Amino acid sequence: MSIEDRFAIETELLGLELLPGQEATLRAAYAVLREAIAVVGADYPFEAEPAHVFVPATDVERR
Amino acid sequence: MTASDPCFLSVAQAAALIAAKKLSPVELVQAYLSRIERLDGTLHAYVRVLHDEALAAARSAEAEIEAGRYRGPLHGIPIGLKDIYDTAAVATEGGSKLCLGRVPAADATTTRLLKQAGATLLGKLTTWEFAIGGTAFDTPFPPARNPWNPERDPAGSSSGSGAAVAAGLCAMAMGSDTGGSIRWPAAWCGLAGLKPTYGRVSRAGIMPLSFSLDHSGPLTWTVEDAAIVLQAIAGHDPRDPASADRPVPDYRAALASSDLKGVRLGVARSMFEGDCPASGAMGRAFDAAVEMLRGLGATIAEIELPPLALYNATGSLISRSEGFAIHQKTLRERPQDYGALARDRLTIGAYVRASDMVQAMRRRMMLVEATDAAMVGFDAILLPTCPDPAPMLGELAPYFDNRRPMYMRPFNLTGQPALSLCNGFDDTGLPLSLQIVGRHFDESTVLRIGHAYERATPWRERRPQL
Repeated sequence: MSIEDRFAIETELLGLELLPGQEATLRAAYAVLREAIAVVGADYPFEAEPAHVFVPATDVERR
Repeated sequence: MTASDPCFLSVAQAAALIAAKKLSPVELVQAYLSRIERLDGTLHAYVRVLHDEALAAARSAEAEIEAGRYRGPLHGIPIGLKDIYDTAAVATEGGSKLCLGRVPAADATTTRLLKQAGATLLGKLTTWEFAIGGTAFDTPFPPARNPWNPERDPAGSSSGSGAAVAAGLCAMAMGSDTGGSIRWPAAWCGLAGLKPTYGRVSRAGIMPLSFSLDHSGPLTWTVEDAAIVLQAIAGHDPRDPASADRPVPDYRAALASSDLKGVRLGVARSMFEGDCPASGAMGRAFDAAVEMLRGLGATIAEIELPPLALYNATGSLISRSEGFAIHQKTLRERPQDYGALARDRLTIGAYVRASDMVQAMRRRMMLVEATDAAMVGFDAILLPTCPDPAPMLGELAPYFDNRRPMYMRPFNLTGQPALSLCNGFDDTGLPLSLQIVGRHFDESTVLRIGHAYERATPWRERRPQL
């Protein structure tokens, strides 16, 4: 599926009503977003814990 | 204006003169107001100048000081606030048509602390729309311009804060930093910009963009001034759920040492030579700064951090999600009232699925732990703030792609304190920048390194020619 098709489907599923002219610019932003999602990936160890609010591990008690 | 004009005094210099009653806070405010009137029609650093209120506050400060009630080094110092900092009874509009006429009932915590320290508010400063909208020409406020060359971008989102301090239109300004928005304008405007540790300075009463990445901090002419401001604003605030309840050290005392003996610095060379190569001028200025720091007694070695793209992609997903959550209702109800850049940059967060966000938070944890592990044996990390000096106004890429990323966002993710400071100028006179990143809650070491570097170099002697 092309990124254009994927963008169109997701926009419809989200129920977003775009302004005239917004589709092209938002599609460009969507392409950048998909790159970021690919870089972050989804192949994590089962037990990998997300950051909780974030908080540094070294010298601060975890939230 | 010459370098001897009061608008070119650092906060520390002006404070010493005010404390000694050799400089009148009223005359100082008048000098700034005159300069704003002369220059801000070109620079657009201010969205609102509080002429009468500033003069009244200065008269009050002067009377207090004359009566022997000197409050400290911000007493009578004229400042500016990015227009996302709430100011009681004074409009705070976030650079957006959506907030025109929005007048907060109360001050942000930082606003209140600065007023309590005796600072005089000159006005509210230009911001990218909701601190995300980029250099835009379709919002009610014209974009700020870079004082070193008004055809150049001052960076953002604290664009007016950077422009105002560099141009001598206020003695210091507050900014906010979600992905670099204090350090970036500091870098392109030749200033010191401090993003304190996450939790060190309250964000209560500051318009949010991304709850887990937003930081509040100062833009100043010198590192010493940043220490003075941090002293006034650091500390626990129950109004900010992320605020840390930890002791606040004496930041200015940390600047007393004139050398860096015993300080261990890690150069993150892979980020600015491999991941995103810095321009020639930036790279040369960086290498010269490293040699200067070595000469001051610091130990230098390379530090290996995870790839820049991993930090930036992770930060992007988190900030887009959190930003969309904040703006979801108004994006649906009044999309036409956003500028095009802010609208797209916020709307795109709708496309981040819940599982994408959770993966980003898992990646964030890994990056925090990997950065902590890499810092074993180091007191601070060194790298440039940005790969390039300021481009022409309007030339910035609209969607922050990863082809020319900055070096700032990693430390929003980890929450570490990070300072940008000027480390020279390119052939066209545009400022270059150095970034110093410390351990959590160790702003003192970051400031000490920056101050020692600043004192050993001539960069604070040059001002924009306006």
